[in-house]
Amino acid sequence: MHIPDAFIPLPQAALYWVIALIFIALSLRWARKDLTEDRIPLVAVLAAGIFALQAINIPIPWGTSGHMMGAALAAIVLGSPFAAVFILTLVLIVQGVLFGDGGLTVMGANIINMGVIGGFVGYYGYRALYPVFKSPYPPAFIAGWLSLFIAALATALEMAVAGTFPLELGLLSMGLYHAVIGIIEGGITAAAIYLIHTARPDIMVEPAGVPA
Amino acid sequence: MNTRTFLFAGIAIALIIAAMAPFIASSNPDGLESAFFGIFGAKEIKGSALDEDHAGIAEEEVLGITGNDFSFASPFMDYAIEGLEKFGEAAAVILGTLLVVIIAWGLGKVVSRTH
Repeated sequence: MHIPDAFIPLPQAALYWVIALIFIALSLRWARKDLTEDRIPLVAVLAAGIFALQAINIPIPWGTSGHMMGAALAAIVLGSPFAAVFILTLVLIVQGVLFGDGGLTVMGANIINMGVIGGFVGYYGYRALYPVFKSPYPPAFIAGWLSLFIAALATALEMAVAGTFPLELGLLSMGLYHAVIGIIEGGITAAAIYLIHTARPDIMVEPAGVPA
Repeated sequence: MNTRTFLFAGIAIALIIAAMAPFIASSNPDGLESAFFGIFGAKEIKGSALDEDHAGIAEEEVLGITGNDFSFASPFMDYAIEGLEKFGEAAAVILGTLLVVIIAWGLGKVVSRTH
């Protein structure tokens, strides 16, 4: 759901950048305060894996395709939604500048949708669902699905404000496609958490009362 | 698994995914593009056929709505390296993956060290 430059008028794009910069500053504060030296390899591996996975568009019905965002995964594993903002911002900068994947003037909107909304919905969805299932995997799947679905609806709202999509048709079509793409997001989020947990159970951040 | 092994195993998995990506990825429009083409009449929302001519017109139309004609010539537009087809794309995604590792590692080190 990388928004290209032509989809949002410049003044609105600038406003999204301002909001994104606030969250980027908060993500740097997270890195300064909570990112310990021993978890830097985890950040590097997550960033690499998310970048590579975002290059794999999986076909869904209706002549469409989609890839995971990875924000829920980053936020759950590193125990903070700001970790997702930190990692997704890096990924989006490299994609936009080097590969023309996602616009530059609208990168603020892309950071808000995929990093901020994806990260917050993924993290708090996981925390809310953990006590219900008492296992990390179903909550990771649902939180991953929800993070992508809500980010897609937010994108549809931004398109409506931009005048690019009519509100109702935008929400319906974005919702339809991303309800399916969300299965990819949820599945990979749960699988990656299983792999990381198996390889290094100690490296994941465990929020209070929620063993990851 | 010690941290060094975890790091190298993780990066190796990412690089394998990166190398495979161009060969297995679908070239269908993504969710946002598909919604865009559906709304602008280049495709049915629930159909799979894309009218290429109409898609071009849709891209002109949206420029007329937003007026945002900013363009930037990325060095490897759409992960393409000239003349190298799919292998070029694989090289581009691998390059991007390595760059992301270096930036994440470097920034992580610099920022986390300041506290």
